[in-house]
Amino acid sequence: MNGRPLDVLIVEDEVLLAAELEFLLDEVGYHTVGHAMSSDEAMAMANDLHPDLALVDVHLRDGPTGVEVARRIHDDCGGVALFMTANLKRLPDDFAGACGVIGKPYSSHGVRTALSYLSACLRDGRAPGQPPIGLELAPAYATRWGVPAMPRAV
Amino acid sequence: MTDIFQSERAPEPPTVEHDLSGPFAAAIRATRMAMIVTDPHQADNPIIFANDAFLKLTGYPHDEVIGRNCRFLQGPDTDPVQADRVREAIAKGEDAVVDILNYRKDGSSFWNALHVSPVRDKAGEVAYFFASQLDVSDSKRLASERDDVRDRLEAAVADRTHELTLALDQKTALLHEVDHRVKNNLQLISSLLLLQNRRVTDPAVKASLRGMLERVSAIATVHRRLFQSDDVERFDVSAFVRDLVSDMVGSARRDDVKVQLDLERVDVAAAKAAPLALVISELFSNALRHAFPIGHSGEIFVGITRTDDDLRIEIADNGVGLENSASSGGFGLTIVQLLCQQLKARSETTPAEPGTRVVVHMPVDGGHH
Repeated sequence: MNGRPLDVLIVEDEVLLAAELEFLLDEVGYHTVGHAMSSDEAMAMANDLHPDLALVDVHLRDGPTGVEVARRIHDDCGGVALFMTANLKRLPDDFAGACGVIGKPYSSHGVRTALSYLSACLRDGRAPGQPPIGLELAPAYATRWGVPAMPRAV
Repeated sequence: MTDIFQSERAPEPPTVEHDLSGPFAAAIRATRMAMIVTDPHQADNPIIFANDAFLKLTGYPHDEVIGRNCRFLQGPDTDPVQADRVREAIAKGEDAVVDILNYRKDGSSFWNALHVSPVRDKAGEVAYFFASQLDVSDSKRLASERDDVRDRLEAAVADRTHELTLALDQKTALLHEVDHRVKNNLQLISSLLLLQNRRVTDPAVKASLRGMLERVSAIATVHRRLFQSDDVERFDVSAFVRDLVSDMVGSARRDDVKVQLDLERVDVAAAKAAPLALVISELFSNALRHAFPIGHSGEIFVGITRTDDDLRIEIADNGVGLENSASSGGFGLTIVQLLCQQLKARSETTPAEPGTRVVVHMPVDGGHH
């Protein structure tokens, strides 16, 4: 990656998933600034740490509050959220302002390629092509990054 | 009945002849059908004749009927619209056929199937009106009861439909919840294997963990695919292979190994998805890991075709061949053998000059997609 590593906030209530994800992020050159397990923690960390990217599960310790977390990170903190969830059907059509979703169960390779693709999008303001398998972009971001619209898989 | 009566009357219309005493009039007096004749030439079109059946039906004596307009049969719940229809037909000299609620002398009501017809003289002018009355209260009550029964049935069906819709919604929500949990648990298992793999240093243990991770990933890919489609009963083998191959080549970081796919869309029963996915994953992994030692580039072909009830899966590489590979054979091949038994499939491994070709035949049911 070019320039400074992206600051990433992990919002996930399963600690083992979060621990492995942090290893993976470190391997591919991201900087994990924090790990939140509830919506309150997530908002506090988002406000304090200003991450470039927040990886957000829909289901958190205080319920299915991840959608609202993504919306507030987008609306209030000006950050970019990416859902990582098995709960694709719970996502609103506008992705609550998040840039897309990686469906669980994901593979390490899937996360690596998705994040490297998103880094290019965030850096250049343009997508390097169609998103890789396992990553679905929100319609608003697909338009912004010049990706031809794909029908939703779910 | 009225028509038959009229046709009988036609050759000798008694009312026109002012003859109320002949044999024909005697028949009218005696019939069980209530009948009256009115005279529109007198003021307010009074009744000038009423038979016994009419008197019996209405409960009025003869002298309280003759000379009156027949509207005295109407009462509080008589529909004015029906009464108007009779009045207008008489004014125009036309027939009127209505069901109207009438009242007896004792105040009880009955449904009257009223038929009013003008009777014309030889010049074609209306001389009289002839009216027949039939008590249809019973059939009206039956119809009303039938309507009630139908309404109750419709309400019951609507209630049941509502209950079933709710039950289906609950079942769908439950399915989504279970799907969600299965996916999260698969992710958890993957994370456990990955975390442990980070800890251990022994290459043999690392290889074992990596093999298990691949198998879990294959099952995870099945579950991602299975609930993406509308039909959770069927599993699209080719779509799965596309996802699996892309992930395994990417994970192995073998950009020097090209993959060629020739995939026909074939669906199998969802129950066979996981074992079949494991077979394909083992065979592809074998080709990827063992046919091409580091530095040895090449190509792997994966073909899926269907002929009648036979699913054919071919995985061929142009690598170093079986006898030269470092494959331990071991656990991966055992898995393939066992699962082929389970799937009633057979696999053949042959040298491909260069490389190795494995072909799996599996019986499939259902129509072509």
